[in-house]
Amino acid sequence: MRRADGWTWLTICCALLVAAPLVGLPLSFVAAPGGLAEFSGFVPDALGATAILLVGVGSGTLVLGTGLALLVSFCDFPGRGWVEWALVLPLAMPGYVFTLFALGRDVPGIRSALGAVCIFTLVLYPYVYLLARAAFLAQSRTLLEAARGLGLSRRAAIVRVGLPLARPAILGGVALALMEALADFGTVNLLGVRTFTDAIYRVWFNAFDRDAAMQLATLLVSVTLTLLLLERLARGRARYHQHAATGDVVPPVRLSGLSAVGALVVPIALVGVVVVAPLAQLAAWSVESIREGLLSPEFASAARNSVLLAAMSAVLVPMVAVLLAYGVRAGGSRFAAGAARTATIGYGLPGSVVAVAVIVPLGWLDHRMNAAVGTGLLLTGTVIGLFYAYLVRFLALAWGAVETGLMRIPRQLDDAARGLGADRLDVLARVHLPLMRTGLATAALLVFVEVMKELPATLLLRPLGGDTLAIAVWQATSESLFETAALPAFLIVLVGLLPVAAMIRLSGRRGAELEAAQTAGAWAEEYEVTAI
Amino acid sequence: MSRRKLIVSVFAGAALFVAAFVGVVIATSGSGSDKLVIYSARSHYGEEQPFRDFAKRTGQDLLLRGGDASELFERLETEGDQTPADLLITVDAANLWHAKDAGLQPVHSMVLDRDIPPDLRDPDDEWFGLTIRARTIMRSTERVGPNEVTTYEGLGDPRWKGRLCLRSGTSEYNVSFVADRIAKDGRVATERMLRRWKANDPKIYGSDTDVLEAIADGDCDVGLTNHYYLARELEEDPHFPVALVWADQKGRGTHVNLSGLGVVKGSDRAADAAALIEFLTTPAQQRVFAENNHEYPVGKGARPSTIAARFGHFKRDPIDVERAGAHLADALKLMQEVGWD
Repeated sequence: MRRADGWTWLTICCALLVAAPLVGLPLSFVAAPGGLAEFSGFVPDALGATAILLVGVGSGTLVLGTGLALLVSFCDFPGRGWVEWALVLPLAMPGYVFTLFALGRDVPGIRSALGAVCIFTLVLYPYVYLLARAAFLAQSRTLLEAARGLGLSRRAAIVRVGLPLARPAILGGVALALMEALADFGTVNLLGVRTFTDAIYRVWFNAFDRDAAMQLATLLVSVTLTLLLLERLARGRARYHQHAATGDVVPPVRLSGLSAVGALVVPIALVGVVVVAPLAQLAAWSVESIREGLLSPEFASAARNSVLLAAMSAVLVPMVAVLLAYGVRAGGSRFAAGAARTATIGYGLPGSVVAVAVIVPLGWLDHRMNAAVGTGLLLTGTVIGLFYAYLVRFLALAWGAVETGLMRIPRQLDDAARGLGADRLDVLARVHLPLMRTGLATAALLVFVEVMKELPATLLLRPLGGDTLAIAVWQATSESLFETAALPAFLIVLVGLLPVAAMIRLSGRRGAELEAAQTAGAWAEEYEVTAI
Repeated sequence: MSRRKLIVSVFAGAALFVAAFVGVVIATSGSGSDKLVIYSARSHYGEEQPFRDFAKRTGQDLLLRGGDASELFERLETEGDQTPADLLITVDAANLWHAKDAGLQPVHSMVLDRDIPPDLRDPDDEWFGLTIRARTIMRSTERVGPNEVTTYEGLGDPRWKGRLCLRSGTSEYNVSFVADRIAKDGRVATERMLRRWKANDPKIYGSDTDVLEAIADGDCDVGLTNHYYLARELEEDPHFPVALVWADQKGRGTHVNLSGLGVVKGSDRAADAAALIEFLTTPAQQRVFAENNHEYPVGKGARPSTIAARFGHFKRDPIDVERAGAHLADALKLMQEVGWD
């Protein structure tokens, strides 16, 4: 091991700062040893509901996402170009907004674990779809043709060669979808499904037992980690899709007649239900609420706060990610790499858990600092605490995009530049930054959209007068004031469409599309490593 | 990009970022130091007027921070003596008890002692009721007669099998209701009642409004909600086919919860906050709250809204804040055990 230099130390300190609140969660068992015992009745239910969600959402997104990816990757039909990208749109629909729509429409049986599974499947399948499609597009025709040559039908070749090759990407997508589902608070709370997030919320907010809530959160963390570990084991050392990713793209089969109509209508109907119908409903309610003057007077400041918080985080979080990724790469220290990866587990946790984990130490620190130098509530009383929570929660998103960009720059390039007399700063300025531009933009967009949607951490940590659109939606829906909730919800979805639109623009060129697809695939793969 | 250009842009970027960061911190941090800060759990749509009037009358700036009562309470606890809050308003009595536990200060006011009945304020004068919310039985006017169910126990009668609607067990109104029953009837009797309710396979909804609309739509025939949700529906549609039954009139009376308020211990403007409490409980302001959300005023001399008045007089069984608060965790566990989702 090389001697750790300044960069490495900076990386390690930075990573530990982000990871600290989560690593501190198990301390709650020391603080109040009997806390969880009192609410032990909640654990079996939470485990049961979580298992249903995992199995249901896992198989739902797996089948739907992979099926649609197969359709657009291996078949051609009129309108395919549109369908291909329209299918990504549900990514912009936050679960709780779709839930609000479904509840407002009185969909029968929606308030159940099954309802939650359906909603999560419909809004989360794009993760699987995107990654599977990327993997399929990256497959070479050589392999599939070899399979055909060995006597397999086209369908059999896809099932027995194409699908297994895409397995790592597909499972990566499923893992992302499951983590989103586990971390969700808005949907399960509105639907009354007793997941871990729900139990944490009840114990903390209805019985005021913060320690027991943190202990439940520790259990949830271990469920998430177990899940990731299982996925990792199931995949083994499979990295073969990268090696297969050379040669020509597989030519798609032209569909005609009924099957072509079906291939066009089914995905359009799906996107219609998940994105267009709720948006239309929200738009109608918005118009009504504006006409009736139901608009909350704080609406303008909520919109402003949402944009400010999201924009700031979109700079801050990728910046830390770059710092970490670059430190890991430059220092080459295993410890720094491990620390950086630990710093990204916040993505698999509900915002409420991150909020608990963040507010307690920050509050403590605030009072110490205030006693020493009279700063008042510098951290918990301002947005600083909130930014910290966003960092803990969303670092993984930015890290994935940045690290993937950096990973694809061969080390030899650094060495060559150094050999030519450039120092480390030159390498960063003239080699890395130009090559990482896309990754950085992706990171910023993802963080921007996620912060716009974020609810539980914002709810607890926002400063005075710091209401956001997501909070406006939640407050109004919890009082059944759907029309008041409509306009802020509508805006959140519209803003969420931004990165999707950006991706569609990126795809204008086939080459860029392939590159984006591969980035996405590698991103998921990197995420796996990261999460363990 | 040249090295020089990089260094310049990194520094420029960093300076810009720091400036923007400080800007955002300041812009989003409504400083509470010069304002009377109110942590309010009432979703204040349409309820700002009394606060504006107070601001105008006294020349003070007011700042309302909305949120779930328990979230605000959690916040207060973290902030401790540094809290910017001066006044806390909750929609649920159990939260008042917890707030008192962690830091309210007594307000000694002749006016409040005179205007608010003793069962609707804290014995130590740390919190005061603002409005009364009755949680009682709702019935379909089309399928259920006025005397078919008159007690909470009665909702467990087998004749309501498949005909009962309840709000989700996560609702603080339900948790407080159960905690109050445990405090007064004991755990065994409360569990028996809940199990009988549960045996009727109640349909569970996310809000009181959903319960009422389910009854109106014929999905069920009886339910349990706060009275003012029905008033809201009747305001929209005078022929809304649901009627209210005042529960337990021959027993202790109908369970009522309190939306209440108190001065935060860490407040540096306790006198102003106390003046605001006095202002909000004057008959004129009580009338505004009563009209806006159809809750019953606590203040003597204030009339309920026309719709709420039409529900008639009833005997109330006020929540025993002290004892119900102590049974919150028990209530939560009991509801979990009987499976009230």
